[in-house]
Amino acid sequence: MALQLNLLHEEITQERQRKRDPLKLGVLALCVFGAILFIYYGWNAYRTLQIKSQLNAAQAEWQRVEPKVTAAQARATELRQIIDSTKVLDGLIEGRFYWAPFLATISHCVAPNVQITTLDGGIVASDHSVTVLLEGVAAAREPRAAAEDLRQLLIEQLEKKYSNVKVTFKNLEDLDTLANLSGMPTASARFVLNLTFEQKQAEASKSSEPTREAVKSK
Amino acid sequence: MMPTKLNKDQIQKIILSTIGFIGLIYCYFNFFLGPLNRSRESMARTIVEVQEKTSSSKNEMKKTDNLEAQAKEATGRYEAFKRTTAEGAPIAWFPPKMKTFFSSHDIDKATVRLESSGDFPQPELSNWLRDSWVVDLPQSEYDVLGKAIAQLENTEALLSVQKLSIRAIPDQPQYQQVALSVQTVLLKK
Repeated sequence: MALQLNLLHEEITQERQRKRDPLKLGVLALCVFGAILFIYYGWNAYRTLQIKSQLNAAQAEWQRVEPKVTAAQARATELRQIIDSTKVLDGLIEGRFYWAPFLATISHCVAPNVQITTLDGGIVASDHSVTVLLEGVAAAREPRAAAEDLRQLLIEQLEKKYSNVKVTFKNLEDLDTLANLSGMPTASARFVLNLTFEQKQAEASKSSEPTREAVKSK
Repeated sequence: MMPTKLNKDQIQKIILSTIGFIGLIYCYFNFFLGPLNRSRESMARTIVEVQEKTSSSKNEMKKTDNLEAQAKEATGRYEAFKRTTAEGAPIAWFPPKMKTFFSSHDIDKATVRLESSGDFPQPELSNWLRDSWVVDLPQSEYDVLGKAIAQLENTEALLSVQKLSIRAIPDQPQYQQVALSVQTVLLKK
């Protein structure tokens, strides 16, 4: 049997111990781990830079849009104000009372034996109703009946155009003096009529149409 | 193979290295990666906010465009309303305008005076003035007056007759003495 002698036994053991040096292994592991951490950090930094560039793009877009939006908001406010003001002004126009048709109605109701001496009319601010005081003289064989005829005719005609029509005598008195009617001395009576009525909404809108056209043409 | 026995010096080094490693990991996550991630998350949130703001702003701009189209008629009419108010103080131009108007209907010697001037209670009309005028017409025929008032009401949209007083002139029964209380809506200038 051949004798085998390991003459390098000590060197090999030392080499083995050197290779298994925990400090060296630890430093090696630390370096590998450090490299992984560095790569991971780099990857995160890259993502952060990407997001930063996206943020810059979004902020640039906002910077571009912001003045337009501010202008648009101001314009929208102005437009809303214009729309609201126009609505209120339209309401004022539509709510107006038109006196000309009323005067025409009165003139159609007054018979030749009746003379209107005073007409005082006004719009009641609280409910937009109209009150008119008509003062005049009626001459006929029965002057009171002539005044009553006028009252009835006024009710009939005003009800065609207005609502809640009330025509009442505030005063009706016979006059001592005789009126000259077609060359004939005739008994006369002085009357004061109180007219109250409201304008119909549809009638008001219809009446305001020419005014709307006039506004458009200006 | 025999396991290598660690000597005391090596064990100390291992313990120190482990502590150093833990410290390094702590520093890495707290002072390097942590702020980076926080900054990224904050930027991501900001991006979402800015994009939402931009998107809602674009919607608002679209709405304004739509509103502009819808308000075209109202804008036109509002401009027409504004044009009814002449330049200068109303007391300077309104009475001559009324005189000219009634003169054109053969109603002469009209006098116009300002009775009151004030604001409207409606907030929508904060830019508009409510003026009340008294128009005296010393002599007018009834039918002529009716036609004049009709034209006045049809052409002056922002004018309304609030009171009307017609009195017969005793000596001239064909003529009447007229007083109109007129309210105007005028743009503040």
